[in-house]
Amino acid sequence: MAKTQNFYDRITSIFFLCVGIFFALNSRRVDIGSWSEPGPGFLPFWAGLTLCIMAVALFITSLRSPGDILPAFFPESDSWKRVTATFAAMIFYALLLDFVGFTLTTFVFVGFLVRYIFPQSWTRTIIVATLSALGARLVFINLLKTQLPLGFLGF
Amino acid sequence: MELLSHMALGAEVVFTPINLLLCFIGVLLGTLVGVLPGLGPTAAIALLLPNTFSLSPVGAIIMLAGIYYGAMYGGSTTSILVNIPGEAASVVTTLDGYQMALKGRAGPALGISAFGSFIAGTISVLGLMLVAPPLAKFALAFGPPEYFSLMLMGILILIYLASGSILKALMMAVFGLLISTIGMDSISGSQRLTFGLVELSDGVGLIPVIMGLFGVAEVLTNVEQAVKQELVTAKVKGLLPSLQDWRDSFWPIIRGSFLGFFLGILPGPAPVIAAFSSYAMEKKLSKHPEKFGTGVIEGVAGPESANNSATGGAFIPLFTLGIPANSVIAILLGAFMIHGIQPGPLLISQHPEIFWGTVISMYVGNVMLVILNLPLIGLWVKLLRVPYPVLFPLILVFCVVGVYSLNYSIMEVALMIGFGILGYVGRKLRLEMAPLVLALVIGPMMEQNLRLSLVISQGSPWIFLEHPISAAFLGLCLFLLLSPFIPAIGGRRKKLQEKVEGEEV
Repeated sequence: MAKTQNFYDRITSIFFLCVGIFFALNSRRVDIGSWSEPGPGFLPFWAGLTLCIMAVALFITSLRSPGDILPAFFPESDSWKRVTATFAAMIFYALLLDFVGFTLTTFVFVGFLVRYIFPQSWTRTIIVATLSALGARLVFINLLKTQLPLGFLGF
Repeated sequence: MELLSHMALGAEVVFTPINLLLCFIGVLLGTLVGVLPGLGPTAAIALLLPNTFSLSPVGAIIMLAGIYYGAMYGGSTTSILVNIPGEAASVVTTLDGYQMALKGRAGPALGISAFGSFIAGTISVLGLMLVAPPLAKFALAFGPPEYFSLMLMGILILIYLASGSILKALMMAVFGLLISTIGMDSISGSQRLTFGLVELSDGVGLIPVIMGLFGVAEVLTNVEQAVKQELVTAKVKGLLPSLQDWRDSFWPIIRGSFLGFFLGILPGPAPVIAAFSSYAMEKKLSKHPEKFGTGVIEGVAGPESANNSATGGAFIPLFTLGIPANSVIAILLGAFMIHGIQPGPLLISQHPEIFWGTVISMYVGNVMLVILNLPLIGLWVKLLRVPYPVLFPLILVFCVVGVYSLNYSIMEVALMIGFGILGYVGRKLRLEMAPLVLALVIGPMMEQNLRLSLVISQGSPWIFLEHPISAAFLGLCLFLLLSPFIPAIGGRRKKLQEKVEGEEV
């Protein structure tokens, strides 16, 4: 499904309008101050308003002409699955890191991605996941002394 | 004579075993991340930054700077051998470099990019030595209005040079500015826009944003479809370019070096812009422009020199004004601050050992890179044989560790993932990330100088026009904003807009 640049521009303008309103409204919680004595809310307020005006301007220009046709959002029909899975894996990785510990989480994270994004054999998956989990542990925790979480197992 | 004694001081700093070792680690790691697609110098610096706290300030800067220019070397290797630019700055190198490799001339292509980078690195270090001290003296006259106008001009130059739609790029810059206001206000010390999250009180960190926008977004784009890695399997031999190669590339290297240096001073992804501009220039000056893209050595020598000397030029705003020209330099600025050193016009006179030490270390680093790069090419090629399905999970692990290790905060990792999505969708919508990052980088300084200026003038915005230097900067800003509407210049700007996506600024 091909979309035009203008369609995308309209999405962009709505997104930025929301961002602008969000900052302009929330900056009023702190002191905006005056031109001669600008407070902490001064810049977020005025920049937020500016962003709103720009977003409206972009929306209006996008209505004028149809614009170029851009390539489909996902190049292949199953691209979205891989992108979503990678994204979800990262979220779980971040969530479990503190509790389960770096080495084990990394093993599962790498294993999952290697096995399911561009499916590799189980043998390869296990080898890569083991080596990267142990290697990363050795380099970051033992060598560089990075304080990564060790989890409830202390590993 | 004064220059020589300064250089001697720098050499004294660099030629200690520990600093030489740090320089070596820096350039080696830089080359490594330059080779790996999706991992840029930012990731490497983020991983190592916490480890530099125990080092001397100059040692830390030497190592981190080495990562920056080392990455430029590494990026070219992958462009030539596998047609995958490890760095955005090496995108143009794929055009002729890969073609040369297909013709069995990978050796000379790699050789000339290493030598070209060396020559360019040398020229830009010389330029840095000559330009920075007088500029720093000039900058001493700058007050808040001048700084504000200068930074505004920096953002507008970036928007002008590197973007499709000026309006959308401006919006991204304002967005970046807004993000930079989150956290503690530097003047009143009060919290704003943190929504009660303790993690946000220090503001939105630069490193999570960059690693998200560039690292994570790059990986998400790459997992969309399986890419076939075509590797030139023939053994790379004969790295030394022939006499004819030298004849063809001598002037492109010299021109690329100067072009890169001056573009490097400008804010934004200078190495990327420098490489593209050098390619365009060589094609224009060439007697056989039609051969470009079929594997001519000028098409490799010019851009490779330009992107290397741009890294040297990028240090000038840092050393003279204390303004970071791009995100890598911004992280370096952070490193300076951690060690209690304020970059700016006073840096060269107050901490000569840091300025001259860094400059000389860049020179030494360039020599190391030539020595290192030529024999290690085989190793880098082996690294690239690691298939992407195996490589990308590791890149993500590096990103997570890099961000986490800064403040031991899962919140920042979440922030990185969020910006990863933003970067991924933004690419699809044709939004430029560079203005956002630059605005985020210099946002706090801009705000401070804006508010100080207004306090000085008691609320009159005319202060920016009453100060002549500031007025000149603003005049240029106005010109940049209006010029697209002037047909003769607007057309030229269009030509500059080569497609540079996913660049790390």
